[in-house]
Amino acid sequence: MRAYFSSDQDEVLGKAYDGRLVRRLVPYITPYWRFLLLALAFLLGTSLLDLVGPWLTKVAIDRYMVKHDASGLKVILVLYLLALIGGFAFRYLQNWYMVYVGQKVMYDLRNRIFAHLQRLPLRFFDTHPVGSLMTRLSNDVDALNDLLTQGLVSMIGDAITLLGIIIVMFFALSWQLALVGLAVMPIIAVASRIFQIAMRVIFRNMRVRLSRVNAFLNENITGMVTVQLFNREHTMFGEFDRLNQHYRAAALQSVFAYSLFMPIVIFVGGLSAALLLWVGGHGIISHWGTAFTLGALVAAMQYTDRAFQPIRDIADKFNLLQSAMAASERIFGLLDQEPEPPDVENPVRLQGVRGRIEFKRVTFGYDPDHPVLKDVSFVINPGESVAIVGATGAGKTSLISILSRFYDIQSGQILLDDVDIRDMPRADVRRHIGAVLQDSVLFSGTITSNIRLHNTDITDEQVRRAAVFVNADNFIQRLPDGYDHVVRERGANFSAGQRQLIAFARAIAFDPEVLLVLDEATSSVDTETEALIQEALERLMQGRTSIIIAHRLFTIRHVDRILVLHRGRLVEQGNHDELLAAEGYYHRLYQLQYQEQEQPAGTALESGR
Amino acid sequence: MQHLKYLFPYAGKYKVRIILGLLSILSGTAFSVVQPYVLGRAIDMLQHGPSLSLLTWYVALIIGAAIGQAIFAFAQRSTVSRVSRFIEYDLRSAAFRHLQTLDQRFYGEMHTGDLMARLTNDMNAVRQFVQMGAVNFMSTLVMLVVVAILMALINWQLALVAFAVLPFVSITMVVVSRTLQKRFRAVQDQFGHMSTQAQENFSGIRVVKAFVQEDREIEAFRRANDEYVGRNLSYVRLSGILWPLMFFVVGIAMALVLFIGGTKVADHVISVGQFVQFNAYLLMLTWPMISLGYTINMYQQGAASMARIMEVMQRQPQIRDTGRTLPISEVEGEIEFRNVGVRYGDTWVLRGVSFKVPRGSTTAIVGMTGVGKSTLMGLVPRVLEADEGEVLIDGVDVRRIPLDTLRRSVGHVPQETFLFSATLRENAVFGVEEPDERHLEKSLRVSQLAKDLEQLRDGLETVVGERGVSLSGGQKQRTALARAVMRDPTILILDDSMSSVDTQTQSQILSGLRGIMENRTTLITAMRISTIKDADQIVVLENGTVSEVGSHTQLLTGGGLYARMYRRELLRQELEVD
Repeated sequence: MRAYFSSDQDEVLGKAYDGRLVRRLVPYITPYWRFLLLALAFLLGTSLLDLVGPWLTKVAIDRYMVKHDASGLKVILVLYLLALIGGFAFRYLQNWYMVYVGQKVMYDLRNRIFAHLQRLPLRFFDTHPVGSLMTRLSNDVDALNDLLTQGLVSMIGDAITLLGIIIVMFFALSWQLALVGLAVMPIIAVASRIFQIAMRVIFRNMRVRLSRVNAFLNENITGMVTVQLFNREHTMFGEFDRLNQHYRAAALQSVFAYSLFMPIVIFVGGLSAALLLWVGGHGIISHWGTAFTLGALVAAMQYTDRAFQPIRDIADKFNLLQSAMAASERIFGLLDQEPEPPDVENPVRLQGVRGRIEFKRVTFGYDPDHPVLKDVSFVINPGESVAIVGATGAGKTSLISILSRFYDIQSGQILLDDVDIRDMPRADVRRHIGAVLQDSVLFSGTITSNIRLHNTDITDEQVRRAAVFVNADNFIQRLPDGYDHVVRERGANFSAGQRQLIAFARAIAFDPEVLLVLDEATSSVDTETEALIQEALERLMQGRTSIIIAHRLFTIRHVDRILVLHRGRLVEQGNHDELLAAEGYYHRLYQLQYQEQEQPAGTALESGR
Repeated sequence: MQHLKYLFPYAGKYKVRIILGLLSILSGTAFSVVQPYVLGRAIDMLQHGPSLSLLTWYVALIIGAAIGQAIFAFAQRSTVSRVSRFIEYDLRSAAFRHLQTLDQRFYGEMHTGDLMARLTNDMNAVRQFVQMGAVNFMSTLVMLVVVAILMALINWQLALVAFAVLPFVSITMVVVSRTLQKRFRAVQDQFGHMSTQAQENFSGIRVVKAFVQEDREIEAFRRANDEYVGRNLSYVRLSGILWPLMFFVVGIAMALVLFIGGTKVADHVISVGQFVQFNAYLLMLTWPMISLGYTINMYQQGAASMARIMEVMQRQPQIRDTGRTLPISEVEGEIEFRNVGVRYGDTWVLRGVSFKVPRGSTTAIVGMTGVGKSTLMGLVPRVLEADEGEVLIDGVDVRRIPLDTLRRSVGHVPQETFLFSATLRENAVFGVEEPDERHLEKSLRVSQLAKDLEQLRDGLETVVGERGVSLSGGQKQRTALARAVMRDPTILILDDSMSSVDTQTQSQILSGLRGIMENRTTLITAMRISTIKDADQIVVLENGTVSEVGSHTQLLTGGGLYARMYRRELLRQELEVD
């Protein structure tokens, strides 16, 4: 039992700056450049006002305290308070505008990604797991936001603060004190950087290991009966303990990293104070110059102290840049995916579709080198119902997919009322040719919202009629909230049979001229529901061009014609009795797949005839 | 507090570390107050009697104090800071162990999501409280007391001013972050909502495209996105105030101390050095004040989370061995239900169910969906327990058979297959200590899984589940069957466990089972009567109780529910045949 999933975010560390990616990001930011500018302005203001406090302390000490003169202290207090109020406002506004821009950019980006995904061909979804798409939409977008709001801007802010401190110390205090301050900064910078690199690895370990613990936990809770029935409690606990210990080891590493880093910061803090006192004291005692005053010494200590945080921040932000670059790489990779080709210019728009379908020498393969349908031709007349049968892999599902234009064919033509479906708007094709798909997908919402989807043109009455038509009304009425009954994620609160009936109702509510049905081999459907489904299927087919991938014997006996596919080719067609009489491929298939459905009824069959 | 007291036994285990940690905190604090003091003396020296030798001495003292402080900071983190991680580990272990003892009634009541939330989020909140709260609280408290005394010793009026302002830091923290939490939860909720919407869209993209819903889906997503951004901004409008306010409050304290302290220096009440010293102490208090606010919040969260964890931990396992358990190590396999009743809440699902299953025979249980067939079968391995009456194996109440023996004797194949995300082999041999290759082969053959293995690239080593291949419903059910057969059970329970297996394979499996189940007892249910009609005995459940018992032919002549059900099944197939 070692296969618990690891984290999706085991990203490889890459560049912290990639000009190409940053240039592509710029267009997302430009609409908000005014706000960005405001944020930068307030940032500058905040940094400058933060320099005021220590300076006022210096003035108070040198001009008033040392001279035992309290006269100017009131002015200093007022100035100090003004600087504080200004700092408070600027800091708040800077943060607000920055976050505002970040949120807006993320909003646009998420919409852009989501909309782009809606335009991608099914082929894309076949090869990209939903989980990774979700990561693009949430984590990666967040990483970009971090880059913008915490990364770029606060790095600029930190740089301004540092620069301000250095300038003030150099010019307003003394260059000797400034040099001492500058001398300790690299120690902090290097220590922080090393610490950050170590922590990044440790945090990733912790994340991965914790997610293993949780995945194991989740699996065991879900499968607890199995564990208990098979007396596996002890083994499972052992496994859990191993994972838990593994996680603890990583967590203790993080404690250890901090236990090394924090003392270094403390020591360097003390060291810088000692050095400043040494230099400043010497300056005062040996009369190096007028710049050496008690106030200057105190202010220098405060300034140096304040430089520590920005240095640590900058070291921290480096990781953030790396993550953001990797994230934007992935996001742009997604946005670069080719969408479905656009509809042809001046597409044909059919009025009053009769429902004639024609396949003219159609060849199609998901991989063009391996066609799953080869040179298939047939005609289905308006109102005719047709079943498609064939062994697994014969190309039945592909046939449905290309009719809905989920995929385009490589050669040949598919005609609806004598118009090539590629000459029609894709949306029109799908409106005229409705499909009931294999896995009856339900969305969270209500029964009604699942039947009409977002189409508000479909009235409540039409929803209900559709449900009545497919035999779903009965069980819906019995639900506490009827048609407003809540459908949970993936329709988990409905049985497979009920989900299928709702999917039927959905197809009927949209009232397509041609209907495609993938009749799934549903398991665990009780006899009653089974009967309802069959009845509904029969009604669906009536008077409407319909193509059904048949699983049930019942269905293939009720259609007008059966098309038999074998290895991508149409090998036989005709009705059930004709095909049986021909004793060809269908005959064999029937014996293999369908006959056993009627075996228990063997005696009844005999007597019935 | 009453909830956090459950943590005491866990913490008690690490007494020595905690005491050593406390000592480190005390010593560290002692060293940390040296620097401001020395600095103050140095300033006074520089002002009144400059001396290079004294200066050197002071500089050395500051460096020495910094070294001391660093050493004890290291010591603190190597002792008490590690404890939180140990407690987290212990707590998680204990929770897991406890969960293993709880029965299906518990798991039925509590949703997996909820349980997971308690074991992850709540566990995390408790750990954070232990780490940040308890540990920081100790050092904060020590620091506050020591520094406050030192400040008051310099000048108590000045100390009063500082302590009139500084607590606002903690208060802001508490007040603002409480509202923040609410808004943050709103943000998280909306994020969950938006993610679900996107996830459902991606999973159901075929439907979205088939019904031409793309544009409307984009619009729906945009609305959710809009709301999310709105809530985020509402959060930031408030959260953005927190840090500026902190800076502001601390700044006010600094400014007042500068003014009042400055006046006192001018009035010769304190020296410049003392003022600088006081100022340095003030700065030292900033972080402890903020962390005090944090701690109060964390305490509340930690307590609430601990309560939620304890709710699980204090659940008493209902199904377990007791003093009445007999020393039985093997069973023969005769089963008897004697006046059995089971209820969920106030409704009786089963009542007065009595019948016998002779050793080595096959009994089928038949009835409409939801009549309680699975419930009844679950009583045998004590997945759940009867509320009245008793289930006997070899004439002994199952509640008196050691749980280990009981479950070792039963092979259970449930309706809903649960496989672990591991290899097929690991899943198949899940229930046996030392799997025997030959026996494994036989089990795979009986369950008709052997032929599927060839199609899988890695055969038996194929990983299934989350990270691996997703098997078909039939393959999953057959794996579960192999897993049960692998145990060589005295009693085999097949609870509609072949619903996704095609009829042909079903009959192959059943005949294979017949071969190995000689002298073993089988209980079986199925949706279709044709699957079970060959059973030695058929028990029909109707309205929660037994309405008919007999063989297929006997029951057909009886003309009851069974006969009706069978007729309907035939009728349907007849209709199909036309």
